[in-house]
Amino acid sequence: MAVKRTQTIDEEVPQTMMNRLPASFKPRPRRAHQLEQTAGPGSPCKHELSADALIIGRGSAADLRIDSDDVSRTHAQLLRIDDEYTIEDLDSRNGVFLNGLQVHAAVLRDGDQLQLGDVVFTYNEGS
Amino acid sequence: MGFFVRFWGVRGSIPTPGPRTRRYGGNTSCIEMRSDSTVLIFDAGTGLRELGVSLMRNPPKEGLDLHLFLSHPHWDHIQGFPFFGPAYLKNTTLTVYGSEKNENYQLLSGQMSNAYFPVAFKDLSARIVPKAFVDDEVQAGDFVVKRFEQKHPGGSAGFRVEHGGNACVYATDSELDLMLIDPNGPAKAPRTLRRLPTPLVTPMKNADLLIADAQYTDEEYPAKVGWGHARANTVVDLAIQAGVKQLALTHHDPMQSDRDVDAKVLTASERARSIGAELDVFGAREGVTLRLDRG
Ligand SMILES: [Zn+2]
Ligand SMILES: [Zn+2]
Repeated sequence: MAVKRTQTIDEEVPQTMMNRLPASFKPRPRRAHQLEQTAGPGSPCKHELSADALIIGRGSAADLRIDSDDVSRTHAQLLRIDDEYTIEDLDSRNGVFLNGLQVHAAVLRDGDQLQLGDVVFTYNEGS
Repeated sequence: MGFFVRFWGVRGSIPTPGPRTRRYGGNTSCIEMRSDSTVLIFDAGTGLRELGVSLMRNPPKEGLDLHLFLSHPHWDHIQGFPFFGPAYLKNTTLTVYGSEKNENYQLLSGQMSNAYFPVAFKDLSARIVPKAFVDDEVQAGDFVVKRFEQKHPGGSAGFRVEHGGNACVYATDSELDLMLIDPNGPAKAPRTLRRLPTPLVTPMKNADLLIADAQYTDEEYPAKVGWGHARANTVVDLAIQAGVKQLALTHHDPMQSDRDVDAKVLTASERARSIGAELDVFGAREGVTLRLDRG
């Protein structure tokens, strides 16, 4: 007597249910993290972030220059660690405020509001 | 110089990863306090793993010299230890503070016994040294750390940490409402200042920053009496009585989403304002560093 072949689990489960991506899957292009300036000289404007490190300040050494007396020459730096940006106060005169709290440093999250003197940014997290 | 405080884990009870907790973070208790020359670690919850990763990124040539303090050995305060990279490095010195009996040292090694974890405590490469408080005080690098008892199932220790004229208090897992001078006060008059006994207030006196267990809201607490945790409004009152400048609410309940924590912080800030105190209240959040020695 012929033995009927048992169906394997693989055959029963549709492809998309498997723990792998379907052949039709195309990864979306990545979106850069972004600082959106909403107040202070130069606003409104958006800065796409791509560098591993950049300095925000009034001075010529700054990568993101802001022409405001409330902003120190080298006010803060942004550092990319594991694709997350951390802001760090560089001993600025007016400090760095994260959602109203003065911080020395902070890993940024989507929607965070940063204030440096009279300059306000919203951090838009990319993907 | 320099007195920096960084939050690596602010969740209570159990790690709570996922989109609901992404902003405040889901790792359990771990706080780093550092000066230019000393690194102190308070609690070894799952946040400790990432602190370890960060410390190993730029290790000093002479090796890491770390000081570990444990509030108590409940899971959410020790679970990160077996995953703490620097403990596996030969040139790390890790001083573990406790009582004369060194119960913390024993308990850390206990959770690494065979059935629980593949590496034994004795096989860790770091030099792990137990050190005892003497009269509830100890010098750790250029910090002075004082210890005090809190109300929690099995007990827990709070710590007052001093450095160059600044003070930070870490007081987690403490059920303040069981210590109230008038235990029925909050039910009778919820808006009235809830008075706490002097021995609890004194260690926090005039601290620049108090990091305190504020797991519950006033509404959540009645169902959790005896579980060992504080409600945010009572913590605010404690901070006001102690003349604290800044209050970080921590040990967030695993059920609380980022929005829930926002609401808890907002209510607590309003309470401080309504009592007329100049107290800055915020929610402890992973990845945030404060500096206490600025003017
Ligand atoms: Zn706990
Ligand atoms: Zn506990």
